Amino acid sequence: MKNLTAKLLLLIILMWTTSCTNKSTVTPYEPTPYEIEIPFGFPTKLNIPENNPMTIEGVELGRYLFYDGRFSGRTHPDSLMSCATCHRQERSFEAGVDHPGFPGGFPHGITGIPTPHAMLPMINLVWNTTGYGWNGLLYPTNPNPDARNIEDFVRMAALAPHEVNGDTTRIKNLFQTIPGYPELFEKAFGSKLITFTNIGKAIAQFARTLISANSKFDQYMHGEVQLSQSELNGYMLFTTEDGGDCFHCHGGFGNPLFTTHLFYNNGKDTVFNDIRDRFAITGDPMDHGAYKAATLRNIEVTGPYMHDGRFATIEEVIDFYSTGVLSSPSISPLMHHVNNGGVRLTPQEKADLLSFIHTLRDDEFMTNPKFGKPEKFPDE
Amino acid sequence: MDKLFRQRIQLLYFIVFTWCIFVFSGCEPKSDTPEPTTGKLSFHFSHKIDSEPIVFDDMRYVNAAGNHYLVNEIQYFISDVTLYHSNGTPLLLDQWEDIHYVDTDLPETQNYIFKDEIPQGTYDSISFTFGISEEKNYSLMFVNPPESFMFWPENLGGGYHYLKLNGKWLNELNQEAPFNFHLGIGQIYHSYPDSITSYVQNYFTVHFPVSAFGVKAGETQTLELVMNVENWFQSPNIYNHDTYGGDIMQKQEVMALAVENGWNVFSIEFMTYK
Repeated sequence: MKNLTAKLLLLIILMWTTSCTNKSTVTPYEPTPYEIEIPFGFPTKLNIPENNPMTIEGVELGRYLFYDGRFSGRTHPDSLMSCATCHRQERSFEAGVDHPGFPGGFPHGITGIPTPHAMLPMINLVWNTTGYGWNGLLYPTNPNPDARNIEDFVRMAALAPHEVNGDTTRIKNLFQTIPGYPELFEKAFGSKLITFTNIGKAIAQFARTLISANSKFDQYMHGEVQLSQSELNGYMLFTTEDGGDCFHCHGGFGNPLFTTHLFYNNGKDTVFNDIRDRFAITGDPMDHGAYKAATLRNIEVTGPYMHDGRFATIEEVIDFYSTGVLSSPSISPLMHHVNNGGVRLTPQEKADLLSFIHTLRDDEFMTNPKFGKPEKFPDE
Repeated sequence: MDKLFRQRIQLLYFIVFTWCIFVFSGCEPKSDTPEPTTGKLSFHFSHKIDSEPIVFDDMRYVNAAGNHYLVNEIQYFISDVTLYHSNGTPLLLDQWEDIHYVDTDLPETQNYIFKDEIPQGTYDSISFTFGISEEKNYSLMFVNPPESFMFWPENLGGGYHYLKLNGKWLNELNQEAPFNFHLGIGQIYHSYPDSITSYVQNYFTVHFPVSAFGVKAGETQTLELVMNVENWFQSPNIYNHDTYGGDIMQKQEVMALAVENGWNVFSIEFMTYK
């Protein structure tokens, strides 16, 4: 009996010491959770898929990938293309009308094929729960599991002829060969073996950190600054039905996203030929000619405007809503001034409304180094 | 050796005995379980015109003023749901979450299961606030959609829309004209639109004094709460869209007509137990 007890004791000690040895040789996969700080008045519900929790390591990797032109899967200087090729921080992550490579702010892919729509602001995406894209083609409850979130947008951008025109295998293989990247993937996802799924996850994590919430209007909401009389007049016009009536679709104090992320036919046309409008997603005839109401944060730097970029300036947009609205069976009921052609603002009212819209510009966001291009890439 | 062996056997007996006590005492039928004395209540919301479920987006309806109209969407809040027991005692329900949002585009909002355990018995009537009462209607209390999209601008009184009833009517020129039949806090203007002297709380109480019903212990009573949309436009005030136009948020005198018409907009169609 004593002999047996001694053997058992020895076995337990052996198992204990062996397990300790194993633990010390394996690098643990312990990414650091990334906490999104919710700005004043913003929603607390976030659109973060369960299979891609935010981590500091994932966001850091995503930032490298977002800015690395080798995302095209190519290394020739003429063939580089990254997300940042079109999504410029100084233009609230749109191209902007002054983009050096895309005249008028109309992007085209690496092969020269233009994108079918103008760009949408790439900010505050973590609060978009109704669908990404002008028609909301990517939404969390989509029966198609490959079309639900920003991760899927990354893959679509990589493949689309009017964007990167790439090959996901080639792209992930290229990053596998670049010194430094496998280690970053290991820190973020627990494996040095790079997959395109993890490339998409990392870029999506970085995209979800692009939060703009420190405009002059935000500071006004916090009681830190006062708006000028013209800005206040414009705010009044923005938030009244007898004024510009912008707020029902574009928010305000009670909805500081400055969008509902919903889809409206705002009266631009009477004939609808675009195969990528909201109708293409829902099949509802009332969605002909309907598109997402874009956020108005930083809107002054994100031209051209509307889904097809038909307006180059905000002044043109205000003119449209003032006198250019057209009736059609599917026009949104919120466009209740349609039979007058619009809200019919005076020149002074237009100027005041523009003054208010300028208060939605967030320069701190558009110059924040943590959202900018890394000083050097992992292999530099 | 023998002594040690005996001690271990005794220890084993003790462990088995203790385990048996725990297991069998847990399996004993509980003969003194109290019978339930409470039940649950839920609302199912439906929306009708002329006693039929609304066919949305179809210009098939005619209101009391003779306006042909269609309805695109309806969004609203009800709050302070209260049951009145046959002994006269009021019972305010869901004090944790007493403001409920309903949206005809969001089926999940059209069922409202109250958290309260409601004492069984007969209740003579039920009431609720259409909209949100003054003490509860403050800005930014809803930061998440869809409720946050109902915000009512600060400069018009703040808080939230009580109602958005959006549609179109055929105007005098036979044009389809959108209407936004929106209710919320009204404004009294000194000089329109810049100088507001006071605000008007337009929420109102809906009361069903003859809707006696019973709550059975252990069961859920479901009430079908129907919004009869045509009643917004007919009694006691004939509401003519040609007269009042497409928007009323800044027209307190028109919102007041709507509030007066709201008294019989809701009805309880049927009740079921589950």
